[in-house]
Amino acid sequence: MLQGREEQEGIDLGMNSKTRFHKVVILGYGKVTGEILQYVFDRRTEYGYELAFIEHEVHSLSITERICSENGISFHRMTDRRELAAFLDRIEEKTLIVSASNNFLFPASLVEKPHITIVNFHNALLPAYPGRNAPTWVIYQGEKRTGITWHYVTAGVDEGSIIIQKDCEITEDMKAYELTERLMDLASAAFRECFADIMAECVQTTEQGFDPGRRMYRSCEMPADGILDLSEEPETIYRLLRSVDYGKHDIFPRLQTSIDGRKAQILRYRRISADKRREGDGLMYLPLGDGGLLKIKYGFTDNESM
Amino acid sequence: MEAKILEILEEHCEEALSYDGGSMMEDGIIDSFTVINVVSDLEDEFDIEIDAKYVVAENFRNKEAIIALVQKLLEE
Repeated sequence: MLQGREEQEGIDLGMNSKTRFHKVVILGYGKVTGEILQYVFDRRTEYGYELAFIEHEVHSLSITERICSENGISFHRMTDRRELAAFLDRIEEKTLIVSASNNFLFPASLVEKPHITIVNFHNALLPAYPGRNAPTWVIYQGEKRTGITWHYVTAGVDEGSIIIQKDCEITEDMKAYELTERLMDLASAAFRECFADIMAECVQTTEQGFDPGRRMYRSCEMPADGILDLSEEPETIYRLLRSVDYGKHDIFPRLQTSIDGRKAQILRYRRISADKRREGDGLMYLPLGDGGLLKIKYGFTDNESM
Repeated sequence: MEAKILEILEEHCEEALSYDGGSMMEDGIIDSFTVINVVSDLEDEFDIEIDAKYVVAENFRNKEAIIALVQKLLEE
């Protein structure tokens, strides 16, 4: 009777016909990770897997620990790469690892294990913009559209076959953190869309077909090398400012510049209408093409001439 | 000052105005991206620098906590 009711409701307990995965491990931080964690938790009865979460990078506004605590999900905080690699290496059962928003590079020895499948969210339309901080580079390069990719993980960085992609517009005032949020929303929706196929191991993948010489963006790289050249066109300056703007997240150091021969750093900026202009210390205004102004607040960093 | 802060909050997260609990983050009223927008507007409006050390869930637990944070930074 019990079994019959479960079948009627589409619920399977324990290992079932829907998946061969015994375990799902989610790795990441931030909004998209929280949403995926909640979604995978909600699906656990349907698939019968064991669920664990690993926080590799700790963020002050993270909600994932609370989700784990409230739902009794196994929570592990491992900021040390070797500890994390060792933990994953000890997994013996058939496992799906979901790398939701994560900068940990999986060792080849783990990726190549036949009982381990890893899917990763990349915040660009692969094969374009592989590597780190893709939202920054697409804004800086003046792209009009970008998107997200879920792909299988191979030993190479962002090289695996594509599971699903979604694209979006980059609006003219979009800052890096706003684009990041949009991409996370897309990633979350795309994951829900392809989850059943991943679990059933029946994804119709697409090979990336990338140029082996493509540029890989590294974490140490910053647009314009972090120097704001005030002789550039205001639109170019605005694009650079937006491209490195992650709010209070210290992805990049503040942009440096030179004002009246003195070293300065950019504190904040925003596009305003001309009637909002107010003079004050450490403020400059640059005309934007639409009649608006780019307001830049700066601070001198020393008393020495450059 | 309070009125301006509430105006900024309303622009980004109207629910924050009527929220009377103890953690907007945990209760799903406000998320980390909304916090970034609120911080950006507060800095611009009051010409203050809100250091990253202050951008924690405790200081954004409700509207009263945000007002207290701005008040503190204005007095520094």
